[in-house]
Formats: sequence, C-alpha cells, structure tokens
Amino acid sequence: MLLEFELNGRQTRVEAEPTQRTLDLLRDVLGLTGTKEGCGRGECGACTILLDGKPVNSCLLYAAKLQGRRVTTIEGLAAADSAADSASGRGAEGNPPALHPLQEAFLSEGAVQCGFCTPGMILSAKSLLDQNPDPDVREIEEALSGNLCRCTGYGKIVKAVQKAAAAAQAAAAQAAAAQTAELGPGRRAASEKSGNGAAVRSTKAKSAGNAKSDRRQRGASR
Amino acid sequence: MSAENFRVIGRGVARVDGVELVTGRAKFAGDLRFPGMLYAAARRAGIPAGKIRGIDGSAALALPGVRAVLTAGDIPGPNIIGILPPFDQPLLAAGEVRYEGESLALVVAESREAAKRAAAAIRVDIDSWEPILDVDEALADGCRKIHPDGNITFSKRLVKGDVEKGFSEAEVVVENTYYTSFQEHAYLEPETVVAVPGGDGRVTVYASCQSPFHIRGHIAANLDLPASRVKVIQAYTGGSFGGKDDVAAEIGCLAAVAALRVQAAVMIVHDRGESIFGSNLRHAARIHYRTGSRKDGTILAREARIYLDGGAYASESPFVTMKALIHAGGPYHVPNVRVECTAVYTNKTYCGAFRGFGVPQVTFASESQIDELAAELNMDPLELRRKNALRAGEANATGQVFDRSVGLVQTIDRVAERRDQLPPAAAEGSSANGGRWLYGRGCACLLQGISNGAEGIDVAGASVQASQDGSVLVGVGLTDMGQGSRTVFAQIAAEVLGVTMDRVTVRQVDTDSVHDSGPTVASRSTTVGGMAVYKAAREVRSSLVKMASLMLKCDEERVLLQDNFAVLAPRADNPEARIPLQEVATAAYWTGFPLMNLAFSRAPDARFDHETHQGKIYIAYNFGTHLMDVRIDRLTGAVEVLRHLAAHDLGKAINPLGVEGQVEGGALMGFGMAHLERIEHEGGCIQNANFADYAVPSIKDRLPTETIIVEDPNPTGPYGAKGVGEPPVAGTAAAFANAVAAATGIRFTRLPIRREDLLAALQGRDRGPAEETG
Repeated sequence: MLLEFELNGRQTRVEAEPTQRTLDLLRDVLGLTGTKEGCGRGECGACTILLDGKPVNSCLLYAAKLQGRRVTTIEGLAAADSAADSASGRGAEGNPPALHPLQEAFLSEGAVQCGFCTPGMILSAKSLLDQNPDPDVREIEEALSGNLCRCTGYGKIVKAVQKAAAAAQAAAAQAAAAQTAELGPGRRAASEKSGNGAAVRSTKAKSAGNAKSDRRQRGASR
Repeated sequence: MSAENFRVIGRGVARVDGVELVTGRAKFAGDLRFPGMLYAAARRAGIPAGKIRGIDGSAALALPGVRAVLTAGDIPGPNIIGILPPFDQPLLAAGEVRYEGESLALVVAESREAAKRAAAAIRVDIDSWEPILDVDEALADGCRKIHPDGNITFSKRLVKGDVEKGFSEAEVVVENTYYTSFQEHAYLEPETVVAVPGGDGRVTVYASCQSPFHIRGHIAANLDLPASRVKVIQAYTGGSFGGKDDVAAEIGCLAAVAALRVQAAVMIVHDRGESIFGSNLRHAARIHYRTGSRKDGTILAREARIYLDGGAYASESPFVTMKALIHAGGPYHVPNVRVECTAVYTNKTYCGAFRGFGVPQVTFASESQIDELAAELNMDPLELRRKNALRAGEANATGQVFDRSVGLVQTIDRVAERRDQLPPAAAEGSSANGGRWLYGRGCACLLQGISNGAEGIDVAGASVQASQDGSVLVGVGLTDMGQGSRTVFAQIAAEVLGVTMDRVTVRQVDTDSVHDSGPTVASRSTTVGGMAVYKAAREVRSSLVKMASLMLKCDEERVLLQDNFAVLAPRADNPEARIPLQEVATAAYWTGFPLMNLAFSRAPDARFDHETHQGKIYIAYNFGTHLMDVRIDRLTGAVEVLRHLAAHDLGKAINPLGVEGQVEGGALMGFGMAHLERIEHEGGCIQNANFADYAVPSIKDRLPTETIIVEDPNPTGPYGAKGVGEPPVAGTAAAFANAVAAATGIRFTRLPIRREDLLAALQGRDRGPAEETG
C-alpha cells in the first residue's frame, strides 16, 4: 500500500506491506536506523518515535497507521529544530547538525553510555518538554518510565532533561525579550503567546493509539 | 608523569563518540546493510536435555526465501567454542542437548521473518532426558554426566595460614549460608553480527562484541582458515557487561560459516528471548561462610565454601571460580583464610562473565558476615570494617602485598565524613509514621582485582598516529561497549601530545590493525589499554618534540606540547615562541621522523601457587566502601533508598564524568541483583525471558548514588589510574542487604530480596524453599 505521511518535517510517500511494522519501514525501507529494536514487544522503549508529537513504540505500530500522520525520529530532531530556527542559520547543509538542547544536555551531563537507548530516551523526553516545559522529577520519571537504560543508572538522564528544560526556557525568555524590545511595548502580549508555540502545538496532538504504558504497573506485580 | 599540570587528564569530558550516539548516526551491527544481505536464525532445542536422534531441514528448505539450512556437519572446523581448552560448547549440537537454548540448525533466508519461520519448521527428533537442575543433584553419586569428565566444571582452593588454629583462637564466630540468583545482563542491544565474505579469500565480521580477538580465533578455527584470513571489526556495541563474549563468538562463527557457504553477507540478530535464554547469565551461588574474631573485633579466620551453578557449558566458569575464590576473604587483613570454590554443570542456560565476575556474589555473603559479626560484638559495622581494613604493606588473602594504592581506609573515612555532613535520615532500626516505615542503614566494603591476573597474561596493543595537520588517530585492541574507554584513550593521547580533544579520533577496534589485546574484561581497559596508548603516544611525541626543538632552535627539554602548539618553555605566554603543532607535524613528516607508533603494554605476570592461590595475582585492586539508607514500608514491603554513598579508590580519575557514570550504572545493576532481578526456571527452562517479566530497573528504581572519588595512585596504571567498571555492583548489592537487615531486624540470606520476600518475612511467614542452588 502507498503511505503518505510527514517524516521529520518532509512529506514522504512510500510503498509498504500492510502488516509491516513501522520500525521495519523506518529502518529497512527508509534507511533511518537511529530507531533501535531492543525487544520487539513494546517493553524497552528503544524503538520510540514521536507520532503527532506523542511517544509510541514503533515495534508495535503497523506502518499502515502512519497514513496522514506526523512522524519524528531521532534523525529529525536536530534538523527539525534547526529548520524552525532557520533565521539563525543553524543546521546548514553539509555541516554537523545543530544539536537539539536535549542532545546537547545528554552529552554534557554524561547521560549517554552505550547509546542504544538514547534515541528513544531523547524522543520521550522531547515529547515531555514540548507539553510541559518545566517538569518536576516525578513528571520526568513518569515520561521516561517506558524507556529502559542498562548503563547509566538514569541519574544523569534526569539531570540532562532538567538541563535541557532550563536551557529551552532561558532561550525562550531571551527570544521573547529580544522580540519585545524589537516590536515595542504595544505588541508584547502577542509575542509572549507565540513564544510558547511548541507547547500549544503538542497539546493539540492526537492520541497516538499505542500510547506507552507505565512499566511500573507491571512492576507492582513482580 | 604525575608532576605535570594536566590539561585534559582529570577533567570531566563528554564522550568522544557522543554526537553520533545522540543523533542516531552511530552504526550498530544491526544498522549495517550490504547488497544482497541475508539473515540467519537458529533452531533451538527448547528442551533442556536429551539425545538428538535426527534433524530434518527439508520442510524448512522448501519455504519461500530460504537459501540454506546448516547443521553440525556443515561446520568446516571442529564445531566447538569456549574460553579455556578443552572447549566444550558446540556451535550446532549433533549428539546431545544440554540446555534449552542449544542451537541445532541454522537457517539462512532473505529476511529475518523468513529465517525465523523456517527455523520453526525444522523437524527435530530428540529423546528427552530428565534435566539435571541443581548443584547437589549434579554432584550426587551416579548422576548422569553432562560432559564426559563429569559435572564438576572447575574446583579450586585458596589456603592462607591455618584456619583451624585461627578459629580455635577466636572468641566470637559467626556462620551462615547465602544464596544468589542468576542474573541477566539485559543490555539494550541484543547480540548481533554480520559476516561479509571478501573477494580476497577473507571474511570480515562486524560484531556487537566485547573481545574481537577471541571471536577471530574461534571463527578461524571453525572455518578451518588461518586467523589472518579473518577480520573482526567491533561495531558500536549497545552494552555488554561481560555478556557479548561467548555468544558473540557463537553467532560470529555461525554467520561466517553461512556467509562463506552462500557467498553473501549474513546477519544474525538475536531476539530478546534468545538474548536471555541463549547467552550466558551471572552464576547463581550458594556460599557457606564462617568468620571468627577476638572480642575486640580483630578478625582471625575466615572460611568459605562456594558452589556456582554454571549451567550447561564451562564458558568463563573456571575464571569466575578463581575470582570468587580470591575475593572471598574480603578487603581485610585476615591471617587465616580457607576457601573452596566449585563450579558445576547443570542443564540450564550457561553462566559466564558478568560485571563483577563472581565478586558480587561473594561480597554479598562476606559483607553480610561482617555485619553479623558486628552485631555479635555489639560494634559499629563501619568501625569493625575500619579496624580490619587492608592497609598498604599488609598481605591480602592471596598473600600479595601492595605498598601503594590500597585506599580502603580512605574510602571508609570519606564515607563516614560525608555521612556525618548529611542530616540523619532516621535512626537505624527506628520506625516512624505510626510504625509504617522501617529505617535502616547498611554499609559494605569490597575489593576487585584489576587486570586478567590469575586468568593469564595481560597484554594490550595500541597505535597512535599523528597526521601532517597535527590531528591524532588512536587504535586500541580493547573495546568500548558504552563504558567510555574511547574517551579515556583520547584523553591520554591528547594529554601526551598536547592536542585538544577535538583533534583526536579513537577508531573502532579492528583485529587487522592492532596487537591481540585479549578480552576487554576485568576493569582493565583504562589500566592496561591506557598504558599502551600512553606508550605509543610518547613515541610519537618524541618525534614532534625533536622537530620542534630544531624549529625553535632550543634543547628538546625546553619544548612543551600543549593546546595544539609546540611551545618554548618557560615563555608559554609568548606567542612568538610557539609554533602550531600542524606545522611541526608537517615538518616532521617531510624530515622523515616517524609519526606513528604501535606500542605494547604488558602487565607484570601473575605468579602464584595453583594449589593454594598464594602469590602475586592482580596488578592492582579497586577498593570501595558503600553506605545505603533505606526506608521500608511495613504494609507493602516497598523499599525506598534514601541515600547511597559509593566511595572507590580508583587511583586517578582520568574522566570524572565517566567515573560517575560507571559508579551510578554499576550501582543500579547491583541494586537490581539485590532487589529486583531473578531468572525464573521451571524444569530447566527460563520462564521470564522478556522485559515484562524479568525486572530490569526502570527510571523509577534509580538510586540517589553519590560518587566519592578516592585517588591513591596506582604505579602500574597510566597517570596512576586503575579501573572502576565492575566494583560498584558488589558494593551496592551488599550494602542493600545490610540496610534491609538493619531496618527489619531480619537477616536475609538470599538475593534478590524482593518486595514480596520482604512483605512475607515481615508478616512472619516462612519463606519459600531453596531453588536455584539449594
């Protein structure tokens, strides 16, 4: 079947088997191997992608379900955000991509060891920050509870998400202040609204269908 | 080398391979694609023991997309792998089934799905035998032999002093038996290899692996090819923790055999179930201990008898046996020690290397004993440990004496100091909230030998190459599986050559390009591999310094290399007295000075008596002290870790950020072993070979680990460093058990101590009978 959907900011048309998993379509047909397979049963989160902004396990999602939807994979993270920032000239072709603040924070905080869980972890964190720019520790735990990591012990991952959130907020505040100064006091209210565009956009996102369950629920029955 | 003012060493730096990992560009083995690539999958036995009557692949071969079905007879070589000769594990079994994951045949097909389907369609005729499921059964007279020489895989003794005399002089003796469960590595990336036949009579294998040279040797033997025809390249490896050694050799051999047979690239990817039941686990253990002391707490004698359930194949059991044996005495000065350790075959998934390598099991038992002794003596547990702590100049359990880098007392003191700075969580053993919360504090000390030690010669190779632009390429024979060794190697090269980190590239391990460096195990990468990088970089440096001295018209002693410049000392700030390293390197090239060096680091040989294990065994030990405060909910058994201090003497922290990562990650793995993770067997088959039923710690289980770095320099390591990859596992598991005992007043002798175990014990119910080794 012919699928049409938005993939990392670009309209994509691709032929897919009706029973193909989204994970295999991405990795084997579209060449996006940044999305990893850790268990094939929706239990580890390594294959997390964003579907209309919400994290889903692509190993449990039939490719057919992508029709007309908006998909973000790890490959689209730096590019997508630098496209939005095109005025600042980041992420130009041929150069290393301007990293997303989450990617920067995962690096600087030491939240990456083997890196196999990292793409899924970062996408789950992105979805969280898009909806909730200033999450507390419990909210971070909740959002990342479907993504297993065996290397780091998770402490540095929590710190990285907090750091990225702080950086994004500082950047947003700075941008808003600059815009306000440029526009003059009369239009301040309007620019404050647009500064929070990401959050507005993602709260409108549709439910993903296989929204990830909290691993803690099965943990209780261990 | 320690007198220098370091510019890179000792700084917390981000991973050198971090950008490709956070952007998803890093190519793990499963991400590689080759034209016409095929996939292979094994038909597993599915039953734990039996006689193979026949294997019929004809139905499988007739399925669409299937290219070949291989059985034992298709392996050109001896069809056997292992760690120590005589090897005992077949690639494809023909005679007997010894565990449920036994591979009987391999299907090669055009897709993973087709290969799996066809593997299931292979007809096998097996006379099922009653499996041998525990250590006592395996050792009983008249028991069926799992291997021709019987069911004892390996058995060794350590004897120091005279334990009978020691116990006769002891005024207080504690004695107990402890059990630990099998544990799964649960790295997020399942085992994966791709074998690519070359047009030149060679075969290249890309592998998610830990020990590429080990794999190369087995592939060459089983293909009946010279090793020089086989090239193994380590792909980005998504965690290993000891686990991607035997199994990577197994599937590396199978993929290579298949690739040469069908003359196409062949990938094998394990699914998660196979990754759990079809590759090695941590040994389950039964450990009987006795410890005797004077009334003042001076430990006089320790005795331990250890049984390890090693499952169907030897794997690393012989070395795990030795490591458990050597470490059972604990990090204490004990004049009389006797330990016996025996690994036993059973019809279960085989056990082998797993971060800590026998040390977490014995440390849990040994440190439980110390707490039980402290209770008998009515002494503070940390004070009792400090009193007996091994110090520089004192003989450890193998009689080895280190006159430096024995930082145990420092770790105890730093933990005590930090504990006293922090507000008390609650008094030990006290309860609050109407008796709902039980509070407890546990501590544990540990040691972990660094280097191969008793396991054989310890050598590592490294190459360092400066280009004309002054950038540096480093190759090392030891692998980065996520622990960050590439970053440490880059730091060492950058420090020696005076370049910034962005000018250094550490390439993936390729068996063509460096000396066989043995396995990447035993927390030895930084210590032994780092030393090889240091030596190679020093040679390249001497060319650059010589060239710079000619250009600066000064003595070589006055040339400093720093921040990508050759600088005339002492006028480091004078811009006219410095030359960009790029110009120096270019001039050195055109002058004909060598800009590449291949160095070889060899640790001092272990020398010891094989009957008593007395002698010099490891080049250094990591020493540690952990302290954990817990709160247990009396109504639900839920445990909350309120505080976790983890102090390790690691000689020198080359990358403190990486050290914290190793400590925090190792700690949570130890916590999993102590509280959450348990392989459930039924009739020899694993019942929970998935992440829904096998409880890998999630982010909600994470610990508030605070890493405390103690640096007592190790003369055998680069910049004084010694490894820290394994030790945090043992310290955390042991401290948890002691904290739970302090909180509940109940001494749990079996790991994991799960929530339901706690609840049952708190409710006064009898706990279940012994299973795995009892």
